[in-house]
Amino acid sequence: MLKDEGHNGLVQKILSCYRKLIHPAASSISTTSLSKDRDTSLKIRIFLLIGTLAGVPLMMIMILSYLSLQGAVKEDFNNQLRGNIESTRQSVEFFIDERISALRFLAAANSFGQLSDEKYLNDIFIKFKREFGELVDLGLIDSKGMQLSYSGPYSLQGKNYSNQDWFNEVAVRGVYVSEVFMGYRKIPHFAIAVKKELPERGTFCILRATIDMVTLNRYVSIVNLKSKDDAFIINQQGILQTQSRYHGNVLEKIAIEIPHPKEEVVLSEVRQNGSTPLIFGYTSIKKSPWILGMTVASTAQSKILDLLTRDMASVYLAVFLIFLGIIANIKISIGLVNWIREAEREREEAIAQTQHSGRLASIGRLGAGVAHEINNPLAIINEKAGLMKDILLMSKDAHIDKEKFIGLIQAIADSVTRCKTITQRLLGFARRMDVRHEEIDLNDTIREVIEFLDKEILYRNIRLETRLKEDLPRIISDKGQLQQVFLNIINNAIDAVEDGGQIMVSTELRNPDRIRVSINDNGQGIAKEKIKHIFEPFYTTKERGKGTGLGLSITYGIVDRLGGSIQVESEVGAGTTFHVELPIRAEAP
Amino acid sequence: MLLVDDEVEFASTLAERLQIRGFDAKAVFCAEEALDMVRSEPPDVVLLDLKMPGMSGVEVLKTIKKISPSCAVILLTGHGSEQCAAEWAADGAADYAIKPSEIETLVAKIDRANEKRPT
Repeated sequence: MLKDEGHNGLVQKILSCYRKLIHPAASSISTTSLSKDRDTSLKIRIFLLIGTLAGVPLMMIMILSYLSLQGAVKEDFNNQLRGNIESTRQSVEFFIDERISALRFLAAANSFGQLSDEKYLNDIFIKFKREFGELVDLGLIDSKGMQLSYSGPYSLQGKNYSNQDWFNEVAVRGVYVSEVFMGYRKIPHFAIAVKKELPERGTFCILRATIDMVTLNRYVSIVNLKSKDDAFIINQQGILQTQSRYHGNVLEKIAIEIPHPKEEVVLSEVRQNGSTPLIFGYTSIKKSPWILGMTVASTAQSKILDLLTRDMASVYLAVFLIFLGIIANIKISIGLVNWIREAEREREEAIAQTQHSGRLASIGRLGAGVAHEINNPLAIINEKAGLMKDILLMSKDAHIDKEKFIGLIQAIADSVTRCKTITQRLLGFARRMDVRHEEIDLNDTIREVIEFLDKEILYRNIRLETRLKEDLPRIISDKGQLQQVFLNIINNAIDAVEDGGQIMVSTELRNPDRIRVSINDNGQGIAKEKIKHIFEPFYTTKERGKGTGLGLSITYGIVDRLGGSIQVESEVGAGTTFHVELPIRAEAP
Repeated sequence: MLLVDDEVEFASTLAERLQIRGFDAKAVFCAEEALDMVRSEPPDVVLLDLKMPGMSGVEVLKTIKKISPSCAVILLTGHGSEQCAAEWAADGAADYAIKPSEIETLVAKIDRANEKRPT
């Protein structure tokens, strides 16, 4: 028997249970928005983490391959440029050599007398011009610098060159190639002069030819394949000798600083203000005062870019793949967070479920304790009222209104009976019972219960349908208690539906060792906030006096003792479904 | 007959009502007193409360049956079930009644127990 302190303890326990249950419900509203924020930041963090994990190695590979590609491309690029310059130089040198040789042959094959004869010279000039179209004029100069004979468009007869630099140089060296100058009809020319020794007279003469730049221009411009590249000839001072595409006209000075020219090809990077960097390659041309220059308006880096962008399909593919990667990353991040949230939700549900059953057990114990305590005074009230009735019936005193007193006493007795029903059920809910184990057919058990309720179903015109799966394994359980379970639930369903409503009872094999019985009705349904209370003792939605509020709590207790579980799904206005899951072999509690 | 219950008000009132109905009912309020009574003048029928401070009702039942096997014992209990009833019957109880119960029911049970009582 429970003492007063015991009661207080129990009350405290119940209150704390309630508080625990109400508290998370109240705080969950404020935590939803919080957890949403947390989810978003978690998503971002996972996204960044995956992005870093995938992106950093990818970036490193890209940088490394870019560096090695750059090295290779640069070398290849430079070699190509060097080769271009080299071959152009050879063409130009060959051209000059050829002209020098021809002139030398002319000087050697003809006597001084023949050459100084203007008519003879003119004859040679015409023959030569037939071979070398670019020849402009031809003249003979004696050792004192006097023009002895001349064939060409100018009248240079009698002109003296003795104080000119080129005259002195050819006198000393034997051959001379001039820089370019504007000559006849404003066409750029250059001159070649060769010395002819005259040993019999102990003196010399000079044969000089002027050649226009058309052929050389063509030789140089042949390498100008790409629109932004340029090739040209300049002199030692940087004055253009041939037409340049980007660096000026003939006889203009180019803007690029020219270092001392060398025999081999020199490459340097030139950065002109405000324009793209250039690669400038140059080399000196032998037997001439010229330098062959070539500029390429792209560097190795831009060459790689060219190389990559040439195939636009692969660029699109790369962009598409990166895009795909980002999408996949976002999907994974969102999926992971949802997965975590789902796991959290399931865990919370499991905790709530445990708390719920714990609370029901506590309430059950409290109910039983209260019932015990109330039972004794109830018995006393019952006996005292009974004694009063006895005495009244035996008394012969006619002054008192016996009928009225007996009526009053009967009312007391009726109330006691009502209380007794409640205490009995409460005690039944909580008491430890030995579960009987017998082999039963669940479908038969359900049919028996339905038969028992047949009259009311018929009377209220309710359509009760059964979908009982045949060949269900027989279960080991307590038949009497199971009957009570199904009786309670189906009774509730009958109360829930309108006249002419519909109830469906079905059985199915959930998994190899559990059977599920579902009782569905199309009644008014149970509101969400009520569902969590329906298994609590004394909770009833029925009219006063119609139900004790103990049916479902007893049902819950029985199913629990038989090792099963019970779930409710309900929608207001649509109906309610009770799912009772029972093990095929009930474990002894 | 003997009535055993620690609830004095209940036991004495019930005893009085039984006396009105012609039973020679005597009420005692603890197990020891009851056993003394059974030893000194064994009653025909004992109405025994299952829950009392000190000795439990089932123990008192067994002791009574040992002292006086011919004594019919009806158990008074807050609740009952078939399972419990079967156990009590094995221990020698003639019947059981759920408190609070109608006087008519109780009288009927006493009469039946008295008839069946082994002599």
